[in-house]
Amino acid sequence: MPPGATSKGIVLSESVDARFRKLFSIEGGNFQAAGSVSKQIKMILKQLSIDNDLIWRAMIVAYEAEMNAVLYARSCEVTLSVSTHCVSLQFKDRGPGIPDIGLAMTEGYSTATREMRERGFGAGLGLPNMKKTADRFSIESVVGEGTTLQMELDIP
Amino acid sequence: MGAHDSFHSIKIDEQRCIGCVTCMHACPVKAIRLRNGKASVYKHDLCIDCGECLRVCPVQAVQSMTSKVVELAQFKVKVALPSPVLYAQYSDATTPNDILLALHKLGFDHVFDMALSCEMVLIAIEEYLNRMTDVRPIISNYCPAVVRLILKNYPNLMDRVVPIEVPREVAAKQIRKSLAAELKLDPTEIGIFHLTPCPAKLISIQKPIGVERSNLDDAIAIRDIYIPLLNALKEVGDDDLILQKSSGVGISWAISRSNVGGLPQHRSLTVRGLEEVIHILDQVEAGKLTDIDYLECAACPGGCVGGPLVVQNRHVAAAQVDTLIEQYGVRTRLDRRKILRSYEENYLIPGLHRKTRAVSHGQVDLVKALEVMNQVEETIGRLPGMNCGACGAPDCRTLAEDIAAGDAVLTDCVFMKIKELEDEVEGHRRKS
Ligand SMILES: Nc1ncnc2c1ncn2[C@@H]1O[C@H](COP(=O)(O)OP(=O)(O)OP(=O)(O)O)[C@@H](O)[C@H]1O
Ligand code: SF4
Ligand code: SF4
Ligand SMILES: [Mg+2]
Repeated sequence: MPPGATSKGIVLSESVDARFRKLFSIEGGNFQAAGSVSKQIKMILKQLSIDNDLIWRAMIVAYEAEMNAVLYARSCEVTLSVSTHCVSLQFKDRGPGIPDIGLAMTEGYSTATREMRERGFGAGLGLPNMKKTADRFSIESVVGEGTTLQMELDIP
Repeated sequence: MGAHDSFHSIKIDEQRCIGCVTCMHACPVKAIRLRNGKASVYKHDLCIDCGECLRVCPVQAVQSMTSKVVELAQFKVKVALPSPVLYAQYSDATTPNDILLALHKLGFDHVFDMALSCEMVLIAIEEYLNRMTDVRPIISNYCPAVVRLILKNYPNLMDRVVPIEVPREVAAKQIRKSLAAELKLDPTEIGIFHLTPCPAKLISIQKPIGVERSNLDDAIAIRDIYIPLLNALKEVGDDDLILQKSSGVGISWAISRSNVGGLPQHRSLTVRGLEEVIHILDQVEAGKLTDIDYLECAACPGGCVGGPLVVQNRHVAAAQVDTLIEQYGVRTRLDRRKILRSYEENYLIPGLHRKTRAVSHGQVDLVKALEVMNQVEETIGRLPGMNCGACGAPDCRTLAEDIAAGDAVLTDCVFMKIKELEDEVEGHRRKS
């Protein structure tokens, strides 16, 4: 898949006319803090009085992406951008990358270890769920470097 | 009934408050602020009536708004509906029946074993779980603080909150109806009181969610009735009157464990303590835990036995509940079919799931909200990030939000104030 192309076949604009932008970082392997970035994002969207359903969808994608970063990456930079028409989330991690994106996007595919499965991860539903839930979704990955997810949700 | 908007089940007594900020830091929803050295529930619309502030205040400045025993007098007929937690407050030798009899002696004309209603409600909950198989997990509703937390902070999860009337309401509704008929009284002449382990139950009576009004009249704190009841217990002899109708299933409600014989066909999970509840609700909101049928959430550590208005240590009380469960068995004596005949009429609360949609605002408002958010972030960047609370807000972020809302100024922060003074001195020095 060419860079920038999404699996939904729409090319994302480089940057929406962001009115608000905030960065967060996630530490790979830190289960103690897992979920805290999604939570902060939720608080901000709530304070912006964004529609509840949209916040819910944003939470689902943010939580899945955050968990993947905690599980698989070394570190991850998260950018939340909110404009008047769109909430956009970028998760850019440094980590092993994904060798076969098509496979990783398949429902049920997972490389989660036994230990991760015992913690309740590894159904192989995270990425497919993000794609389903976001209005636009793109994924790029370079093996040995990292993975970048870009997700957008339209404000009605 | 209908209490006014800012009514809450707790109140901070200005005279007693020493301004130590303990409660402000403990409040899970950041509703408390200090103004002029005194704490108050400044953001009262955020308050979920959890009673944490009451629990932690070192000088008992946070008071419960539950009524005192003396206030019973205004009703012709007085009815007590004790939380099963009351059964776990006294020694092993005191049976639930003794306690119910002692309540009689205290001046309640009728005393009802509410633990039995807990069993009825569990049957109704089981029925709901059987009927609604497409939404999981379903979340318990008996903790008013949890319901308010969900309503305010997890509105999307509201339609998972089980719309089955809580035991105290089911009991009160039936009692009022039957007593009014039996004694030929106007229903308003009957006063029905819940003996409660927490102030939160009071808010569910004064400002119920999903129904027009509560079937109860008021709540009395277990800790306020503890001593009078202890004295009344001494007068209870060998009485043939059996008031206790419940089994261990209903009594287990005190430790929030519906799986004790109550919901054998369903996978349930119990989470107790607000911090844990918040954590688990975050996960449910993110679409997790769909393999759980029934998620029981109690704001207090240990469940209702850990309520802020009890006397007995919660671990001791929980052990006592375990003993009682063993003693009275985990099989309800109730007839399931009979209960379900009045499922719609007596148990279901259709109003609970009325959409609590936030009014989606126009673009103009969003532009404004984004501006404010930028201002908040900019302010946070200037604040020291110590979260000390000296400004009167629980942390720097909240102060920044308060400033943006016009409820505080930057120099409420002591560090900013010092800096301002230093700059002033510097300015003077330059001039001279
Ligand atoms: N950020 C990432 N870096 C490296 N590999 C990743 C990353 N995100 C996902 N993967 C790979 O893609 C697979 C599928 O991810 P997905 O989120 O769909 O499922 P999962 O995380 O395995 O299970 P679940 O999300 O259901 O708990 C993962 O098992 C992992 O091998
Ligand atoms: S805990 Fe709160 S109410 Fe109690 S004294 Fe301290 S500041 Fe005042
Ligand atoms: S009752 Fe709970 S939510 Fe309300 S002010 Fe006290 S701690 Fe905060
Ligand atoms: Mg995943």
